[in-house]
Amino acid sequence: MGKKTIVPIGPYHPLLEEPEFFKLYCDGEIVVDMEWETGYNHRGIEKICESKTFEQVFYVVERICGICSTSHPFAYANAIESIPGVEIPLRAKLIRSVVGELERIHSHLLWVGLAGHFLGYNTVFMWAWKYREPVLDMFEIITGNRNSYAMFTIGGVRRDIDQEKADQLLKVLDDVQKKNDLLVGAVMDDPVIHARLKGVGTLTAKDIHDFGAVGPTARASGVDIDVRRDDPYAAYDLVKWKVITAKEGDVFAKAEVRLLETYESISIIRQCLELLKKEKEGEIKTKVKEIPPGLGIGHAEAPRGEVFHFVKSDGSNSPVRHKIRAPSYTCIPTFRKSCVGGTISDAAICTAAVDPCYCCTERMTQVYDHRTGKRVMNAAELIKLSQLKTEEVREKMGL
Amino acid sequence: MNIEQYIQELRERFPGIKDTEVVNQKRLMIHIPATLLQEITNYWFNDLQYRYIIVSAIDSKEGYEIIYHYSDDNTGWIMNLNVLLPHDQPEIESMTSVVYGIEWIEREIMDILGIKFLNHPKPERFLFSEDWPEGEYPYRRKFRQEDR
Amino acid sequence: MGFKESCFKKSLWVFHLSVGSCNNCDIEILDLLTPRFDVERFGMKLVGSIRHADVLLVTGIVTKKTKPRLLEVYAQAPKPIIVIAIGACPCTGGIFASGYNFAGPLDKVIPVDAYVPGCPPKPEAMIAGVVKLLKAKGKQ
Repeated sequence: MGKKTIVPIGPYHPLLEEPEFFKLYCDGEIVVDMEWETGYNHRGIEKICESKTFEQVFYVVERICGICSTSHPFAYANAIESIPGVEIPLRAKLIRSVVGELERIHSHLLWVGLAGHFLGYNTVFMWAWKYREPVLDMFEIITGNRNSYAMFTIGGVRRDIDQEKADQLLKVLDDVQKKNDLLVGAVMDDPVIHARLKGVGTLTAKDIHDFGAVGPTARASGVDIDVRRDDPYAAYDLVKWKVITAKEGDVFAKAEVRLLETYESISIIRQCLELLKKEKEGEIKTKVKEIPPGLGIGHAEAPRGEVFHFVKSDGSNSPVRHKIRAPSYTCIPTFRKSCVGGTISDAAICTAAVDPCYCCTERMTQVYDHRTGKRVMNAAELIKLSQLKTEEVREKMGL
Repeated sequence: MNIEQYIQELRERFPGIKDTEVVNQKRLMIHIPATLLQEITNYWFNDLQYRYIIVSAIDSKEGYEIIYHYSDDNTGWIMNLNVLLPHDQPEIESMTSVVYGIEWIEREIMDILGIKFLNHPKPERFLFSEDWPEGEYPYRRKFRQEDR
Repeated sequence: MGFKESCFKKSLWVFHLSVGSCNNCDIEILDLLTPRFDVERFGMKLVGSIRHADVLLVTGIVTKKTKPRLLEVYAQAPKPIIVIAIGACPCTGGIFASGYNFAGPLDKVIPVDAYVPGCPPKPEAMIAGVVKLLKAKGKQ
């Protein structure tokens, strides 16, 4: 009764067989333990930063993760600018916030698509990614690239947003808002999704505290934390917005938080563009001659949670030490609480709920029988299992 | 938040504190001996319910600085504990008994700097491949790309 | 045109392997499936197993830990297989080439047929790269 064999039936998603990242040990249907093997993506970025100038580090940290491409430069800018204590111009603050919030929108849409795929709702996947495209187009118009924007520099931003681009952006936001309504309706009101996601992968507030988890993962468990409000930076204290939380802490709550946060992001961008219009013209950069010796501790709220950068400067051109902590570092260990005790068919969606970097979730899960130690299934099969479960639930409900 | 009052209260509670420094706006650094680490960590993490952020480790001239970062989300202050370890004895007690989530970063620091965390529940390789040479710690200052 | 080349004339089954990437390129590859670019209308399909693939798309830098896995996957691939390096990372290592975990650009590990530079390359660039490669193979 220990082992279970699943025949993979043509997954429609690019998945990797190896290498192992997560090992889920299962006893029959139930997950009993989780182990994480890492280092595959380890590129030694912190060490590379030590051989680059402070300005060049922006381009390195952008490529830590492609989805949170702006959040790392944001946190790094907060850290490095705190050493000389430079105040950046208002226009720069507003533009930084606009880019940061646009990124949040595209990241949450990406997540909704992936979660949809894991559950077997491939239409949701296609819709969400299709509606993401106008956001990426706007990135290209504003920054020059769909990803990796190179917008940040010490003391401000590198490119301005003129009125014409702002008007285009407002139109795209109207459209995204309507499409988000569609997605919210599709996800929040579907009884099958309720059955699949409610009560699954629950994390309590104490779990969140024990692991130091952040972002929507924490807010879905009622832990009211958000760097933009707790330690405001850029333009977040100049505009009105609210922090979205939920109480239940399950996967449904995490989805709800992300979907509703998209509306807040749209509102923040609209307000920032209004302020930019009033400001008309102004500097987008303060000149910073040099970075004196000292410590820079900065953080920013990425779509996945708090990104933390710690920079030590000794007065030279390069950082002596640069410590980077991505939000997934403290959110991924929570799988030990959210997956263990649940069934394997829920494991895929539990891991996706925390929204680790796409590459992380896809290529890593391997399931082992905890008594024989033999590998039972890989990531593709795990996702297929999750999709099959949705079919079963749907049949049971007679839909 | 009245930071001077906070520092004073902290010093009264933990007389072993070596030094305190307001690094920048809303950033406090407290230098402590390794013996005081568990007590203050327990106070901050459990009593005051600060949020655990991460642990940084630097190889400096004076020794290995292990810096524990915590966030007081109510005030927006980031509180940092700095423990200095001598170069010839880079050992410190693991904090996994107090902060559950600290396990991974301690394993990472073991890999990259060779610091030994005593009583760690799983002191195994974390980042590097199995064939990474023993005793090679890329973040130590002696490490040079040319020597590899 | 020989038997091998005629295999590649019709629809291509693509296997995507990330050896150590930041996900930018991976997301852009997935974007190819979505309605805007929709490569499935060309018959290109992303498959879940290397054993069914005609094309191996590799993204990311080869790190010391993923190098043995990469060689394993390449060994399992049915030959002939086209290998395409997507992005600056597998082409040269990009900005990570100076890192201590870098195990060489992709063509030092496995033979590469095409390079699509960019960080990340736009989806249009990837399609153009594949088309160019197929045309070049067709001429041989």
